Amino acid sequence: MNTLSFDSKRCERIRLQLDSYLSNELLVETAIEIVRHLESCEACSRDLESRMRVRDALQRAVAKQPVPDSVRAGVLRKLRESQPRSLPSTTGRRWAVGLAAIAFLLFSLFAGEWLSLRRSEQLIASILKLGVSDHLICAIKGHNYPEVANPPDQIRNKLGVRYAVLLQVVQERLPGFEVLEGHICSIPGSNRKYIHFITRGQGTILSVILTERNGTNLPKGQLLASPESAGLSIYEGHHSGMEIAGFESAQYFAFVVSDLSQNQVLQLARGLAPALNEKLHVTGHIFMPSANDGVADS
Amino acid sequence: MPHLTDLYRTACLLLRDRHEAEDLIQDTYLEAWKSFHRFVMGTNCRAWLFKIMFHRLHHVRRRLVKTSRVVTIDDPDGQVELAAEPVVPQEIRDEDVLNALARVAVEFRDIVLLADVEEFSYKEIAETLRIPLGTVMSRLSRGRKLLRQELAEVARSYGIDPRPKQAGAAETA
Repeated sequence: MNTLSFDSKRCERIRLQLDSYLSNELLVETAIEIVRHLESCEACSRDLESRMRVRDALQRAVAKQPVPDSVRAGVLRKLRESQPRSLPSTTGRRWAVGLAAIAFLLFSLFAGEWLSLRRSEQLIASILKLGVSDHLICAIKGHNYPEVANPPDQIRNKLGVRYAVLLQVVQERLPGFEVLEGHICSIPGSNRKYIHFITRGQGTILSVILTERNGTNLPKGQLLASPESAGLSIYEGHHSGMEIAGFESAQYFAFVVSDLSQNQVLQLARGLAPALNEKLHVTGHIFMPSANDGVADS
Repeated sequence: MPHLTDLYRTACLLLRDRHEAEDLIQDTYLEAWKSFHRFVMGTNCRAWLFKIMFHRLHHVRRRLVKTSRVVTIDDPDGQVELAAEPVVPQEIRDEDVLNALARVAVEFRDIVLLADVEEFSYKEIAETLRIPLGTVMSRLSRGRKLLRQELAEVARSYGIDPRPKQAGAAETA
């Protein structure tokens, strides 16, 4: 049994920043410092969890509030009534109302489509950020890999029987990269599990990370993804100085993350995606989607 | 019609009156329609509509000021009180959350809704409400805390002890 020390001044400083952490308004360095503190402070973790629970409950409650049809009808009526009354004829008035309606419809369509695109981009960014966070916290800041690669059997043991089969794919499909480590990890403050391969090549560290989709999809659309690789759309992003390429399989999101150039990361992801997708498809059929074995905090 | 649902739900929660909220939404879209030439294509249309709505809301609130409660913001720095941090119940009913939110003063309710429900950034909230960024941060912190305190009261009314567990020495297995 371990007793964690409680540093009230440090906790106070961290808690002052928890609201900004929750709103994703902190610099990555500060966010990582908070994550590190949460790893060792049960009280602050509990505080954060409580704040997240309230926010989630509020979002759910508001989303369930009904919006009567009369609201939309009322807005349209108000817009119609606002049209100039001094038009000389009924025909002229009808034209004006018609033009206004068309203009508003165009505005609505454009704005709706534009917003939809923005929301899709935000969703993609937040999904890709999952991979970046694990790479930064586990591989880069946590340095959870050895200088000399762990033996493949040891890596397979850490991954468990469910994910051990993926090691071969990563080894074969990332030419010039050596797999140093493979494990299942999680980020403090989150229940999400990551199947994490840490590799070294081209003078840097590159992570291949998988995590369950839990019913979430990457948004579809030609404007959002790079050209397909064997039927898979690869999504790309840049965050915290890292390039990330990701795709979705039947039950998983998969990410390739590194500080290499965008083209290099994308190229590596394209080479890896089809084989990984095929293996995940087989894995998904053999096992139910619940990654709980061999989990270690990053 | 873009963003009507988000705007209406927010208006309802801020005004606590369905008819006032519908009027506010109608005025918001009318103003958006009239000043559409000022909308910059490629900028955030949703944030623009919310900005208009809060501008209108300011006038509505001035009209309703006699019936609204007076609120003093006495904690602009969002002081942290470690020992007093309430624990909210694990399972929270929607009704309890919305009632708790209704008891939070409007200055804080505005920001909690914009940040936590509409997920606007601090910068967007500052522009929408025309207040400094620091005020957004302190009011959000205070507003969230007030909401947690209200929910802790709900827990107490259900017979659940909302006091935080002793934080002096946390133990792990």
